[in-house]
Amino acid sequence: MSTLLAAPPGTIPAPTIEYTQLAPMMLVFGAAIVGVLVEAFAPRHLRSAVHVPLTLLSLAGAFALTILLAVDGTRNVAAMGAVAVDGPSLFIHGTILVLAFVSVLLFNERLQFVSQAASVPGSTEEEDSLEEGAVQTEVYPLALFAIGGMLLFSAANDLLAMFVGLEVMSLPLYLLCGLARRRRLLSQEAAVKYFLLGAFSSAFFLYGMALIYGFAGSVDLAKINDALGSASGRDTLLYVGAALLGVGLLFKIGAAPFQAWKPDVYQGAPTPITALMASGTLVAAFGAVLRVFWVALGNLDWDWRPVMWGVAILTMVVGAILAITQTDIKRMLAYSSIAHAGFLLTGVIATGGPAQNEEALSGILFYLVAYGFTTVGAFAVVTMVRDAGGEAGHLSRWAGLGKRSPLLAGVFAFFLLAFAGIPLTSGFFGKYAVFAAAVSGGATPLVIVGVVSSAIAAFFYVRVIVLMFFSDPAPDGPTVDVSSMGTAAVVAVAAAATVVLGVLPQPVLDLADAAAHSLFVR
Amino acid sequence: MTALVAALFVVALAAPWVVRSIGRNAFVLLSVPLFAALCWLLATRRGLDLIHWVPSYNLNLAFRLDALSLLMAALVTGVGGLVVLYCSRYFEAGEEGLPRFAGYFLAFAASMLGLVLADDLVLLYVFWELTTVFSYLLIGQDGGRLEARRSALQALLVTTFGGLVMLLGLVMLSTVAETWRLSVIVTQPPRGPEVTAALVLILVGALSKSAILPFSVWLPSAMTAPTPVSAYLHAAAMVKAGVYLVARLSPAFHDVAAWRVTAMALGALTMVLAGWRALRETDLKLVLAYGTVSQLGFLTTLVATGTREAALAGVALLLAHALFKSTLFLVTGIIDHATGTRDLRRLTGLRRELPVPFWASVLAAASMAGLPPLLGFVAKEAAFTAYTHDGTTATVTLAALVAGSVLTFAYSARYLWGAFAPKPGAEPREVHRPGPLFLAAPVVLSLAGLVAGLVAGPLNAALTPYARTFPEGDRPVEGLALWHGVGVPLALTLLVIAAGTGLFLAREPVARLGARLALADGQEVYRDLLYRVDRAALQITGYTQRGSLPSYLGVILVTAIVLVTGALLLGSPWPPAIAHVWDAPAQLVPAGFVIVGAALALRARRRLTTVVLVGVTGYGTAMLFVLHGAPDLALTQFLVETLSLVIFILVLRRLPVHFTEKLSPVRRVTHSVIAVAVGVVVVVVGVLATGARSLPPVSVVFPKTVADLHEHNIISALIVEIRSWDTLGESAVLGIAAAGLTSLIFLRHRAPRHLPDPAAETSPRNVWAWSPEGDEEEPPPEWSQAKADRPERPWLRGSETLADERRSLIFEVVARLVFPPIILLSLYLLFSAGSSPGGGFAAAIVAGFGLVIRYLAGGRYELSEAAPVGPGLLIGLGLALSCLTGLAGLLFGGSVLTLGVWEGAVPLLGKVHLSSSLFFDLGVYLLVTGLVLDILRSLGAGIDGQVEREARPGERREETVV
Repeated sequence: MSTLLAAPPGTIPAPTIEYTQLAPMMLVFGAAIVGVLVEAFAPRHLRSAVHVPLTLLSLAGAFALTILLAVDGTRNVAAMGAVAVDGPSLFIHGTILVLAFVSVLLFNERLQFVSQAASVPGSTEEEDSLEEGAVQTEVYPLALFAIGGMLLFSAANDLLAMFVGLEVMSLPLYLLCGLARRRRLLSQEAAVKYFLLGAFSSAFFLYGMALIYGFAGSVDLAKINDALGSASGRDTLLYVGAALLGVGLLFKIGAAPFQAWKPDVYQGAPTPITALMASGTLVAAFGAVLRVFWVALGNLDWDWRPVMWGVAILTMVVGAILAITQTDIKRMLAYSSIAHAGFLLTGVIATGGPAQNEEALSGILFYLVAYGFTTVGAFAVVTMVRDAGGEAGHLSRWAGLGKRSPLLAGVFAFFLLAFAGIPLTSGFFGKYAVFAAAVSGGATPLVIVGVVSSAIAAFFYVRVIVLMFFSDPAPDGPTVDVSSMGTAAVVAVAAAATVVLGVLPQPVLDLADAAAHSLFVR
Repeated sequence: MTALVAALFVVALAAPWVVRSIGRNAFVLLSVPLFAALCWLLATRRGLDLIHWVPSYNLNLAFRLDALSLLMAALVTGVGGLVVLYCSRYFEAGEEGLPRFAGYFLAFAASMLGLVLADDLVLLYVFWELTTVFSYLLIGQDGGRLEARRSALQALLVTTFGGLVMLLGLVMLSTVAETWRLSVIVTQPPRGPEVTAALVLILVGALSKSAILPFSVWLPSAMTAPTPVSAYLHAAAMVKAGVYLVARLSPAFHDVAAWRVTAMALGALTMVLAGWRALRETDLKLVLAYGTVSQLGFLTTLVATGTREAALAGVALLLAHALFKSTLFLVTGIIDHATGTRDLRRLTGLRRELPVPFWASVLAAASMAGLPPLLGFVAKEAAFTAYTHDGTTATVTLAALVAGSVLTFAYSARYLWGAFAPKPGAEPREVHRPGPLFLAAPVVLSLAGLVAGLVAGPLNAALTPYARTFPEGDRPVEGLALWHGVGVPLALTLLVIAAGTGLFLAREPVARLGARLALADGQEVYRDLLYRVDRAALQITGYTQRGSLPSYLGVILVTAIVLVTGALLLGSPWPPAIAHVWDAPAQLVPAGFVIVGAALALRARRRLTTVVLVGVTGYGTAMLFVLHGAPDLALTQFLVETLSLVIFILVLRRLPVHFTEKLSPVRRVTHSVIAVAVGVVVVVVGVLATGARSLPPVSVVFPKTVADLHEHNIISALIVEIRSWDTLGESAVLGIAAAGLTSLIFLRHRAPRHLPDPAAETSPRNVWAWSPEGDEEEPPPEWSQAKADRPERPWLRGSETLADERRSLIFEVVARLVFPPIILLSLYLLFSAGSSPGGGFAAAIVAGFGLVIRYLAGGRYELSEAAPVGPGLLIGLGLALSCLTGLAGLLFGGSVLTLGVWEGAVPLLGKVHLSSSLFFDLGVYLLVTGLVLDILRSLGAGIDGQVEREARPGERREETVV
């Protein structure tokens, strides 16, 4: 701000933008804007036919561009220090884009999304729009904006860009959460809750950012880290600011005690959106957490580590214990996501020398890929098990699914085992990677808590498996809807990824190692 | 070896298909690969395979064959092959689920083989968990029964828990040792407190797998599994995995006290307690199950001791146990098959009916009881010998082992008696005679026990290499032999036989005593534990996940308070805060209003009251601005506050008067405390932040900057000049927000903009009617009077449409008179912005208030009368004007938003200062006026329309969401 004031208009140097390096992000945002134009100008019956290829192609294109950038090997800070293009960010971008692509395949606007979002549930308008066969195709551009936000959020190299990314990611998601076709009041309640709590956490983030700026005189992550050593006498600002930034970020990853929104929102949101949030948002939020705590506050790790210990322990335990009582499949997966956030935090804590950081970072990156695929697959299965009233969410409805549809139930059981971290699934190597890093980083007690909570969580997953395979199916039980090619493909891809990462993890580990090798650019 | 394990998995994959195509005889075929594997292993005897698997973690597919592995692998394949053979007759032809069973069984065998051959800790763990999973599937084979499901789950839970704990131990161990290779760790064992901790964790896993106390609960309940599963998993293979791991690590770690003492003590305790329990069970399989637990305790003690003699005895007993216990299980299966029961009180006279199983059982039970010349005897003699040297530990252990052996003898005898002896009270049952294929496995296994006992010498030679991995003791190892000569061990054996016979004869009083002494049933403890976990989870969920937004927010706020307070403490000493509390005492008055307003807002129960009280805090802040000398800010704040109040009231019409949720006093107090705490923390942080200033404040820089721009009002210069880009962007956002608002309210119906035709007969006079149209109630007389006095030309045309009871002449007159001055004031504020407080934004809101007054006085049609243009037009014009001004700057000044200034004298008005920013501000003015109009039209008139439509009979009512 001060620079804007000091320089008279017209003398501000024009910013340099590295368009090639930002191309993936720009492609996604560009496609999102085109999507808005499609909404505005394309005839109603054509919109879906335009949106689906547009969305998928842009995501695939962005992925290809990310690969090109990774191969190209340039690692620097683009857009006047706002966006980092480095190993971790490219890896995270690739992960987000693939997971988003897969999640978008789950979108089936006639089945999962509301016909007209603004109509009051149960009103005449709603009935009319249903009769008309209206569909809310805005979900595609909204999702693209959210995905673009994820890309920016996870690669932001200054707090301002990070905040912009956070909001661009969150706002469409708040909206998308309220667009479920069935149980609309639940969905709208979820959206309102997510929005209000999310707004609060964003406010905390912003406040923290302001205080950090007051401390360091810059929002640039590297400059903040430099200031840690030099700026004295304003430590209060730094600590308070770091605490508030932490609140905002930990809310996004759903760490305890900020986890309360996750089950409600995951349950209420349309399942494809839940899949997108559980995979993409989590990955992006961890990218941001790493940047803030490792890059900006890297030299402060002695101070934030005790707090993070507490948060990680609480998150793992809460996620594992509360999962036990859940009777809704999506809520259960939400708690599982909370517990996994806790496991990932053990990796975030495992800082040390450069070699140690590399190990921890590589572990976290691998974990994110492994968990992301499994969770998208699990939610894809959820969309396929359907009742007359939509998805059969209640666990009791899943009884005997193994007899009715052994293949699907088997795949789901496999995903659950991956969540539990059983060997030969990707979950095992994911957990192994972060836990090993945590042990060598001196966080053995944390790992013990992690293992115990994995055991508790495994208890619950196993109960679900038992329910599916060893109970008799109810006569009016749910049907398995395999009509959607996209959904079937998602399940297949996720299952394949879970197997391959569990049996032959080395190629992906190599990628993660390479991405983590140079750590973050500053 | 890698190929061998892989091949067995392939066989397992093919097994279901084979069984499905040729029925139960396929098991004969399926036993061939296992026997072939046995032959290959016996021929190979030593070996090492190494394939890199995950180089990043230094994980290898490492398999190694040595004396211990060979013994275990031989058991896995040999006993496995025989049990598979047995399956071909145990199951009925065409039994449901048989193909699946075959697949699981062979996959289990393959995993078990992998487990005992693995030389890499992670690989070992992988196979370890695989055996858990497959054993779960095998135990739960009869999935229809609740009991089978429960016991399968129990086995899985206990062993998975143990497995995960073990994994942690393995990871720690390998981190210290810097290798995953088991053989490397054993030859160069690391030491240290971390290693000790790791070993305890590994022990938890091993003990849970081998059903040693306190984890023994799962094995007896796993007896719901089909008998071949019990014979294989729970006698020969899986339960030995824990013993195997202890045996594998003991050569390196037997001198770690935590490892040795824990394992030995728990083993000995298990041996005695489980043996005692076996004496009172009535189900033959449960007798065997508790016997197995007891023997596993024996084995654990032996292999954990750490002397060559004990180790040799341990592996010998390992072999003996596998042979005799699987025989007994298989015989039990035959009995079950032949008679339909396993209850030893109901079986009678089977000795004559089933002679071959009887003799096989005699051999096996004798081996179990430790009678010569069977292998059991050889092993037990060696075990006793191992503890006859001096030392308290050795003596105590020996006493426990002898006591356990007495019990073993007694329950062995009880098994034989229970299964085969004629009993006076029991009815003889009809018996199906088993065929030779059914009998082959138990006969071979029991004979193997006999032969191995007779040829103790070669066996000794085969097993000694394992014993040699332990350090040499102070006396030579005697080795395995049938005859050691007269000595303490032989005396102890005689003692065991005598005391065991006594116990057997007194079996009924013993069983009663045992039932009476039973302190805690493991099953109940387990169930209680699960129940408690469930309860705790339920309670925590109920407490934390109540679904209420205030409580979620409360948690977040409390955490933020705690974190920030912690940060504040951490950051002390604080920078010197502002020295004075206030600039002028007058500030205390509005500050007091703000505080009181905020406090009262916490307590208010009506929505409207809350909104007004929150408004008070805003007005108080505006007053503070005034006192601080910031009239521009104060003006804007006042106006915005009032506008928000109006919007709130318009919306609150549709909501219940009171907050619907009734708060308990406790929660009310909690909320208040949280609110006050957040307030205090925010204030403290704010004060500190202000005190931490290190750069010159903007109030130094700004005046000069603004003077450079030939402006006088810093605020307006800031908005329309210095940050005109921001303003432009915000304007666009405001326009979009207005569009969103409109689309939410007017989903389908646009509010009618023009007055209904007054000439029409149906001209409505129902706007804001208190009761729906059609209500026949006569209006009160004074309203009728007002109707009669209605002037020819009304003050407000829209008021004609109002319901009579809603009209107020005074209000209409005032509204009519006040409207032009308000608009004039707004224009003044717009044009004077350059030099005095005001600006497009404030001016527009003032104009908006004029519209509000017209709307309130005349109803929704009057709004269209007052503002005959649509908000869309105003917003569009405003945005366009702002943008064009910016572009004009590009045209005239070379870059976007460059300023042009013109000053001059105009008659009547005096000196006039005109700059392009005025046009920019005019755009803002139009935009904001449009926004206010939009709000009134949607939240005011639009909602009025909805209310009227709902009140109209004959139309479906819309449901409202609150």
